Amino acid sequence: MSYAYLFKYIIIGDTGVGKSCLLLQFTDKRFQPVHDLTIGVEFGARMITIDSKPIKLQIWDTAGQESFRSITRSYYRGAAGALLVYDITRRETFNHLASWLEDARQHANANMTIMLIGNKCDLAHRRAVSTEEGEQFAKEHGLIFMEASAKTAQNVEEAFIKTAATIYKKIQDGVFDVSNESYGIKVGYGGIPGPSGGRDGATSQSGGCCS
Amino acid sequence: MQEAELHDLSDDADYAASQLQGSVYMTRSDSTKTSSTTEPEGAEVVYLKDNVTIHPTQFASERISGRLKLIKQGSSLLIMNWIPYKGQNSNARLSEKDRNLYTIRGVSFTDVRSIRRHTPTLGWQYIIVVMSSGLAFPPLYFYSGGVKEFLATVKQHVFLVRSAEDANVFLVNDFENPLQRTLSSLELPRAVSVANVPLPSTSTPLGELPPNENQDAGDGSRSSSSSLYNGRTRQKVHDPARDISIQVLEKFSLVTRFARETTSQLFRESLNNGFAVANERRAHGLSPVNSSHKLVHEAEKAPEEVPVAPDPIEFDKLTLVWGQPRQAPLGLEEWATYLDSEGRVMDSKALRKRIFYGGVDHHLRKPVWAFLLGYHAYDSTDAERDYLKRVKKTEYETIKRQWQSVSAEQAKRFTKFRERKGLIEKDVVRTDRSISFYEGDDNVNVHLLRDILLTYSFYNFDLGYCQGMSDLLSPILFVMEDESESFWCFVALMERLGPNFNRDQNGMHSQLFALSKLVELLDSPLHNYFKQNDCLNYFFCFRWLLIQFKREFEYGRVMRLWEVLWTHYLSEHLHLYVCVAILKRYRNRIMGEQMDFDTLLKFINGLSGGIDLDAILRDAEALCICAGENGAACIPPGTPPSLPIENGLLYAQQDDEVL
Repeated sequence: MSYAYLFKYIIIGDTGVGKSCLLLQFTDKRFQPVHDLTIGVEFGARMITIDSKPIKLQIWDTAGQESFRSITRSYYRGAAGALLVYDITRRETFNHLASWLEDARQHANANMTIMLIGNKCDLAHRRAVSTEEGEQFAKEHGLIFMEASAKTAQNVEEAFIKTAATIYKKIQDGVFDVSNESYGIKVGYGGIPGPSGGRDGATSQSGGCCS
Repeated sequence: MQEAELHDLSDDADYAASQLQGSVYMTRSDSTKTSSTTEPEGAEVVYLKDNVTIHPTQFASERISGRLKLIKQGSSLLIMNWIPYKGQNSNARLSEKDRNLYTIRGVSFTDVRSIRRHTPTLGWQYIIVVMSSGLAFPPLYFYSGGVKEFLATVKQHVFLVRSAEDANVFLVNDFENPLQRTLSSLELPRAVSVANVPLPSTSTPLGELPPNENQDAGDGSRSSSSSLYNGRTRQKVHDPARDISIQVLEKFSLVTRFARETTSQLFRESLNNGFAVANERRAHGLSPVNSSHKLVHEAEKAPEEVPVAPDPIEFDKLTLVWGQPRQAPLGLEEWATYLDSEGRVMDSKALRKRIFYGGVDHHLRKPVWAFLLGYHAYDSTDAERDYLKRVKKTEYETIKRQWQSVSAEQAKRFTKFRERKGLIEKDVVRTDRSISFYEGDDNVNVHLLRDILLTYSFYNFDLGYCQGMSDLLSPILFVMEDESESFWCFVALMERLGPNFNRDQNGMHSQLFALSKLVELLDSPLHNYFKQNDCLNYFFCFRWLLIQFKREFEYGRVMRLWEVLWTHYLSEHLHLYVCVAILKRYRNRIMGEQMDFDTLLKFINGLSGGIDLDAILRDAEALCICAGENGAACIPPGTPPSLPIENGLLYAQQDDEVL
């Protein structure tokens, strides 16, 4: 299937926060509690539509354990978007966000769009990180923020699409030179080569933000 | 399904020639049963050196020593003989047949293309004699010196010049204008790059001629400079590629014996086999050289988008000759023949060889894996092993109690324990749950995985737990079906693979480094491609190495692969040759589709579940044999799964963040 743009995403965050489940929920619309833990990296892809344009998301789902950070860093190259995930029921996964962010800032391109996701918001009764704290962290670091649940699918679609919409807007605004693939964006058939082709800016089709 | 095709080369002119070539050598060595020192009339011994030795295997201890002679016949003919001494083999396994196989008799220097001299600062000097046919003899080690005199003597009788490319290569009867040679050598970098020039493939060690003359002149991929290569014929029109050939051939010279052995084997086998490849080649109108990958590498269905530098070692033919067909797994009756009355394995090398070629029946894995992993000694008796099992069970329980006795209060103040436990608990429920052995809620085997891993993290607190370990443990528990036995087998495996999980990833990096060196040795165009595309970190092979291809094959195949790897029969590092073999299977797609790092990583990941293990093992065996010492030299000492070099601490101290 042809696309106007292809965006490379990377999903990062501590082990067990639900990165693979978020991906599976987004690409296959299902929740699979028993899947093999991720070694290295796994891939997923899905077409979405933004501003009536078909956009392909190529998503890299990485291993979360600390030991694999050095190899994960090599995956940042050329990512247009990152989903930084923590688990609202495990405080330490929130505490580690700063170090993930540091990696991302250091190894990804400066214009990479980062979406902070507090996953497992269906487990509100075990919540260890408040929504406000998540919002605050996102605000401080210039991230988009959502709480989501890979299990119930709440906000999963939205998170991926809102990130894409933000990237798309950056293209429209001329932030990216889309002919340079190091920004994680490939122009497909029917794509508009360069920001000049943008007519009416990004119209996000994403759903509302989680509160 | 590919097997029949692979054997089928009878109509191939090159192959016929190679068989002929092989047969000549066989005849030479076999026809002479006497090792008399008498020479034909009119012959004069102009050089004689004792203690010239070959090493038929990678092991320095296995050697055949003999006497090297140069004999002048008539006015201009110089003949080389090397006759092994009788009854002085270093090793009983080197049979009389081996001696005959290696004997060099009546080799005329008119058939010699070059001699390479190796003068290592440590160790013995040796030479490699490369024939015009492309066949190379095994390195001849001069234990008592004499390489210089040897070359001087040769020079007195035949035209010998130093190669312009390499001061240690002496070309025999090369009457080319030295200036021309030097100029043409400037073209070399173009020839080896991944540009559109097909690299003139070197002769296979079968003795086949370099294939330039076979190449379809109309394949359109040749750049103008390639015309330089077209003149490669027996008439010694100079061809710089020949110098490349020399180098590549030398890499194979160690294994010349395999060529000979296998050639004779193929004679026998070919009588029984149907032959189709050559016909198919004709039907497709493809030249033998260009078609080879397409025919053998069925996986490569996609059209090539750009021309690809051909495989310099004609991988498919290599495998045909050197990769033995896989055998049926070792079964119960046969297993019994390896044991003495008290249960000792009598010939562990023979056993490992047997398993290398066929693996083990599943119901035999339990006893056999314990040996392969090093948990049981091959020379232990049944009674000793029973005793060890009881002792080790107690020892395991003791270590296990260490974490079991951590109270909730204590755990509150024991962050590292809590973190490890949490991590392990998260991971065991994400390990092979689709296998019936581990499936379902509250599965007892999943609990065992947790207990063993947690106990291991206390047994080896420095290393602790790292993701990937559960993948390695899962088949072991599945096979051993016993908590303590599984633990100790896992411990034995981690003695070798522990460095994969070091925090600084040094074990992984050393393997990735060795892999890059092996690809450079065995497929330089592919290496250059990776280099140009910033892929030399080989991270795309990370998962393969970390967990020994656990995610690349289905469960049963993984167990088969592992037991083969664990034999360490040809090399401790066969897994690296498995990597090379897989990469070579897909080299044409990788380069043809001009994959960048991201695409390559995705492509390699996607191979999971689609790799033909038997074919790859055969390829890996061939590559391992061919790479010989040069391959081994690519792999730094201590690279996993070699046992770590002792330097005090087994594992680098982990910092506080370790999980």
